[in-house]
Amino acid sequence: MKKIFATCFLSVLFLLANPFKGSAQCDTIASLCAKHIITSFISDGQQYRSLLLNPEETAEFKTTFFGETVYRIAACSGLTDGNLIFSIYDQERNLLFTNKDYKNSAYWDFKVKSTVEVTIEAKLDPSNNGSGCAVLLIGFKQSKK
Amino acid sequence: MVQQIKKFSLLFTPLCLLLLASCGNNDGKTANPEEIQEDTNKVVSSGVLNIGGELFSIPSPLQTAMLIQKTGSAYDKSILNTKENMNQYATDFSKALNLGIYGADLGYVSMYNKTQDAISYLAGVKKLSDDLGLSGAFDTQTMERFNKNISNKDSMMMLVGLAYRSGDAFLKNNKRSDISGLILAGGWIESLYFALQVNKAKENEDVKRRVADQKQAITSIIKLLSQNEAKPEYTDIIKELKELGKVYDSIQYKYVYEMPETDVAAKITTINSHTDVSISKEQLDKIIEKVESIRKKIVNPVKA
Repeated sequence: MKKIFATCFLSVLFLLANPFKGSAQCDTIASLCAKHIITSFISDGQQYRSLLLNPEETAEFKTTFFGETVYRIAACSGLTDGNLIFSIYDQERNLLFTNKDYKNSAYWDFKVKSTVEVTIEAKLDPSNNGSGCAVLLIGFKQSKK
Repeated sequence: MVQQIKKFSLLFTPLCLLLLASCGNNDGKTANPEEIQEDTNKVVSSGVLNIGGELFSIPSPLQTAMLIQKTGSAYDKSILNTKENMNQYATDFSKALNLGIYGADLGYVSMYNKTQDAISYLAGVKKLSDDLGLSGAFDTQTMERFNKNISNKDSMMMLVGLAYRSGDAFLKNNKRSDISGLILAGGWIESLYFALQVNKAKENEDVKRRVADQKQAITSIIKLLSQNEAKPEYTDIIKELKELGKVYDSIQYKYVYEMPETDVAAKITTINSHTDVSISKEQLDKIIEKVESIRKKIVNPVKA
């Protein structure tokens, strides 16, 4: 509890002292992350960002993967690849994928045969001992049959 | 010095608790210290703390435009919002919803390589985004890229996606997630409207399935807009969306899990699970009625 409180205290202090630094940090990470959504993929028009204060915290959102589509998910935190773990669960909480199994790969593609509702979760890699902005981006393209 | 640190701690400890509590308690009620502590624990234990609140994902309207074009359905300009309407939107609420609508329309005309229409809808998108202070998303450089690629549907789709993502990021950065949510809602309604009109003209199983597949999206849209439900202009649209949500609740879905397969070298996972959907004509008719009603109020706000 003390550790969480101290982290929170320092983070609030940091944010109060640097009101624009948080979003500027996110912008930089988002620019780097966008390089993984190559031009064959169309952006879904959204940027998913979250401030993660420690590796115990998880950012999550639900989305629909439509059938006959290939999705690319890029997940970034910090200025280098491999700091963010992202996982995809189906509606029954079966784990469909985690980049943790693949050296925290900063991007991965998903070929979706039939429409499924999924939950995407992101958390910081505990071994990197960091905190900060996490950015996820989604691109899509039609699947070749 | 010690006194100063104590004063500093006394000032910032409650502030820290309040800020944490506010992340988990956004219903506008004032919490007592016990509730703040409880909420603090909830935030920490649930482990979710997001910039700008809860994260939502709304399907891109471009995906539905692509599906419609893929089905071989003929180009139908009558299903789009008219270009003449673009000057009648007076409030930020109306402009944002229609920016979403025109963005979806731009995607649709681009898919069919209708260059002249693409130029017009691009102008509509640019005007509304400028009015909303989103000029960064459609700046001179971006507009030049659009104009250079206006007859290339793949490039156009990519550029529309990038411009809307840029606008989304700008709005979230500037604490205007309400506008961002309205743009997403407008785009989603328009793409669903396309699908319904196309299916009405000539029934198509893929398009019908895409309509049925919007259950998660409608849930997210309602949650997203409900963050501003205290604002009077949101009342009607939220009410109608909730009614639409109830129709989706009545649709039968059966999910079947199947083991995914991963090709590590290609960095691709194939998701083999599937959802079987059963949607009746009555349910489809109710969706059509509701979506047409919502869209009409968005594109013709004065006459509604």
